[in-house]
Amino acid sequence: MSIERNIYPFTAIVGQNKMKTALILNIINPSLGGVLIRGEKGTAKSTAVRSLADLLSKRAQVKDCPFSCNPYDLDHACLRCSELMKNEKKLDTINTKMRVIELPISATEDRVVGTMDIEHAIQKGEKKFETGILAQANRNILYVDEVNLLDDHVVDILLDSAAMGVNTIEREGISYTHPAKFTLIGTMNPEEGDLRPQLLDRFGLVVDVTGVTDTSKRVELIRRRIEFEKNPSNFLNDYTFSQEQLAHKIQEAIALLPEVTFSDELLEMAAKIAVSLGVDGHRADIVMIKTAITIAAYNGKNSVSEKELEEAASFTLPHRMRKMPFDDSSIDSQFILEKIQEAIR
Amino acid sequence: MNSNCNKFPFSAIVGQESIKKSLLWNIVNPKIGGVLISGEKGTAKSTLVRSLCDLIFTMELIEIPLNTTEDRLMGGIHLERTLKYGKRSFEPGILQRANNNILYVDEVNLLSDPIVKNLLEAASSGLNKVEREGLSLVHDSKFILVGSMNPEEGGIRPQFLDRFGLFVEANSENDIRKRTEIIKRRIYYENNPYEFFKSYQKQNQTIKTHIAQAQNALRQLVVTEHAMKIASAIAMEANCAGHRAELILIETAKAIAAWDFRKTLNISDIKEAAKFVLPHRTRQRQDPQAPNIHQDTHDDDNVQASPDSQENNSPPEELPTQDSSIPQQENSLNDSDEIEPDKIEPEENQFSNDSDKTEESGEIFDVGRWLSEKKRKSIHKGSGKRSVVKTDAQQGRHVRSRIPATGNVSNIAIAATLRAAAPYQLFREKNDLAFCVKKSDIRVKIREKRTGNTILFVVDASGSMGAENRMRSVKGAILSLLNDAYQKRDRVGLIAFRRNSAELLLGITRSVELAQKELQSLPTGGRTPLDAGLDLAYEIIKSAKIKDKDILPVIVLVSDGKATYSEKSKDSFESAIDSARRIGAEKIKTVIIDADQGFIKLHFLEKLAEAMNADLLEINDLHSKTLTAAVKMSL
Repeated sequence: MSIERNIYPFTAIVGQNKMKTALILNIINPSLGGVLIRGEKGTAKSTAVRSLADLLSKRAQVKDCPFSCNPYDLDHACLRCSELMKNEKKLDTINTKMRVIELPISATEDRVVGTMDIEHAIQKGEKKFETGILAQANRNILYVDEVNLLDDHVVDILLDSAAMGVNTIEREGISYTHPAKFTLIGTMNPEEGDLRPQLLDRFGLVVDVTGVTDTSKRVELIRRRIEFEKNPSNFLNDYTFSQEQLAHKIQEAIALLPEVTFSDELLEMAAKIAVSLGVDGHRADIVMIKTAITIAAYNGKNSVSEKELEEAASFTLPHRMRKMPFDDSSIDSQFILEKIQEAIR
Repeated sequence: MNSNCNKFPFSAIVGQESIKKSLLWNIVNPKIGGVLISGEKGTAKSTLVRSLCDLIFTMELIEIPLNTTEDRLMGGIHLERTLKYGKRSFEPGILQRANNNILYVDEVNLLSDPIVKNLLEAASSGLNKVEREGLSLVHDSKFILVGSMNPEEGGIRPQFLDRFGLFVEANSENDIRKRTEIIKRRIYYENNPYEFFKSYQKQNQTIKTHIAQAQNALRQLVVTEHAMKIASAIAMEANCAGHRAELILIETAKAIAAWDFRKTLNISDIKEAAKFVLPHRTRQRQDPQAPNIHQDTHDDDNVQASPDSQENNSPPEELPTQDSSIPQQENSLNDSDEIEPDKIEPEENQFSNDSDKTEESGEIFDVGRWLSEKKRKSIHKGSGKRSVVKTDAQQGRHVRSRIPATGNVSNIAIAATLRAAAPYQLFREKNDLAFCVKKSDIRVKIREKRTGNTILFVVDASGSMGAENRMRSVKGAILSLLNDAYQKRDRVGLIAFRRNSAELLLGITRSVELAQKELQSLPTGGRTPLDAGLDLAYEIIKSAKIKDKDILPVIVLVSDGKATYSEKSKDSFESAIDSARRIGAEKIKTVIIDADQGFIKLHFLEKLAEAMNADLLEINDLHSKTLTAAVKMSL
């Protein structure tokens, strides 16, 4: 496996295990609904997300399809591909790696959703849809750094697509619908203002990261960074093995995921936890169970136990517990833990 | 089975009975005029609406995405055909597709204003009148309008609200068994949507048959004079504006009766209908005694403090004698907090000399329109929701295009320009180019950006504010304003002044949350250096303006106006007036909130307001007045 040049390897990141787990879980199971990483500057947030690319696996896609359609999935194919599939035409397929698509915060609405292809219109006198970032993001990871600083109307659109898996465009003479199923990853520094609860709720998992406080770990962190900057290719070579190992583990988990079983009692437990914590809506319960299933797969287990549910709760509940737009967000994690254990008992 | 519909099936949705009923009634009787579903996130609002696609026979579910531009909503020039024939040809928009169908807007409260305006017009007339891009035509556009929204994200205009026949609130299920069932079904669905959908086919079919039979029953339904009288009496009692309420009451009651295959309307049908028709139409009443039906509709609404209950909870008003008995002089000599006789809660109000105390905040309420919104001539940049400004910046939502004002042609709306040029292409000299655009064709984009204000709170934290639980209600009021600021995406800052100086507790930030934290822990005690507070506010706004000249700054001063200390001058009040004049001269928008709820005012604040050219408000003025408690709207 070749490591892309000059991207700090995922496995070389010191500490931040919770963040790393959350990211990996989303690769294993893209239906978890993404992850939001909140933390101060310099806590390897962006580094971790960007380094994900190397761990992503190859999958089949229709050649030259701007939406990277899955050639075997009629339900989520774009117009052109689904036509071809229905007519049982042979589709050219290629194997490509899943990608991390970045959405810059200065992006305008037309670049995000797509717009009319002006060149085509002028040359041919016909309308043609020019795809935007959401098209690229289909079946990939969409990464928004400083997601809390994104223009409100862009965020609204982003979340709309993320929730439905479809991007519907009705603008500037263009009327078009295409698949836009992506894993949304956001990073933000809460000092700059928080996300609205509605948006927060759309992120399946949320992790809060803080700087590493252990001195020896901090030293290790500095050492690795210096080594990496001095000689990136050597450094990357050193981590090739661990990167491959992790990529392999992820592959196994993806294969195991459909086989993981869960009991009705476990579902009931999840419901109990959500009710006792007074979480809004039902998204929390559902994501909690799905996360628990994914954790089990990652641990190589084929059934979900309370332990996984407990871990899943810590990723999926804290950010959903705020009743009012700005109730205190720093909810005592101890309190959550107690509630979870109460429900499990 | 509709092949395009492998959505989560309607019959598999657990609970949410009122939403289901309201949607089904609308299908049975489209004259009801749609439904608005309001509720917290993750309560299957949009899942329910989208699941309708399998139940509506020949009807379709048409959605308005948030990115819609005006030309796609109303329709516009068909580019290819116009080019080909050299004659304007119409390409229908969403409103035509919506004709005889269901028109659904998710997050309806986030829809941009020009779109809402056009939608309203079509909804009220049943017609789409197109007068744009050289086209002039009218077509039918009768649709069932369905909207869903999360009220935390801001409200919608009352006029728009009224267009929705029914109003329902979505709540999450608290029954563990049902919740478990919800998770289970969702997971099965996600594992295999197609199989899952098939397993509910039979149940969906039963509902469809029921709808068809109810539609038949509706045709035979007789509405008696008596029923109409009852409906209008109920609407009157609920103090609804206009007559739409009683019409929709009757239509809804008809659907209810038809659903039970009855041939006549019962009073209970009308009562049931009222629960859905009235909540968003009921205006605040003078009469505190609400009618029975009205109360039903407000059952689940205790969470929100209604203005009435707020009054009950606010601290008792001071007696006039108490207030006037506090000599101002004494106050400034003695660096202690006010000493007042006759305490209602002695422990609460006892201060030792110069001691601090931190009060909890009072109740948070919905604020009404507290910032007057005058037309803003200048062009602003910024991001927020309070003031919609047309902006020349390259950001913002592009919703419409226009012919440019002379000379100023940047920001070309290329698609609109091409459409404008299209009809002439056959006749124009193109010099071997495919397209010829003349100056008269050029259209520019109008982008709409909601510019939030930059609100700087200047809070009096002196000892006098600690008296009589004043700080409690002040904190409640400021929190309410912060809540409002959050919805409008304002930026906020916080200054407190007490003892000898003013302190910037929070620089201008978008994080309303931080402001709220600072405020909660704000102690009171000491003298009142009012001038210092105002001076600091002046400086902060000045430097913020240097950074970004387009901000819309607002200073909100919360004080009782009793300046008792000044570093600069002996006459602390005169010094405060001087500072106030300086702010007034800069034409910075200011609002003073009177923290003193006593009967006798000492007119300090009035003088201050005059010097600053500020609006003077009392805490009670902030309460939202015109809106119903059921729909927690604020603008």
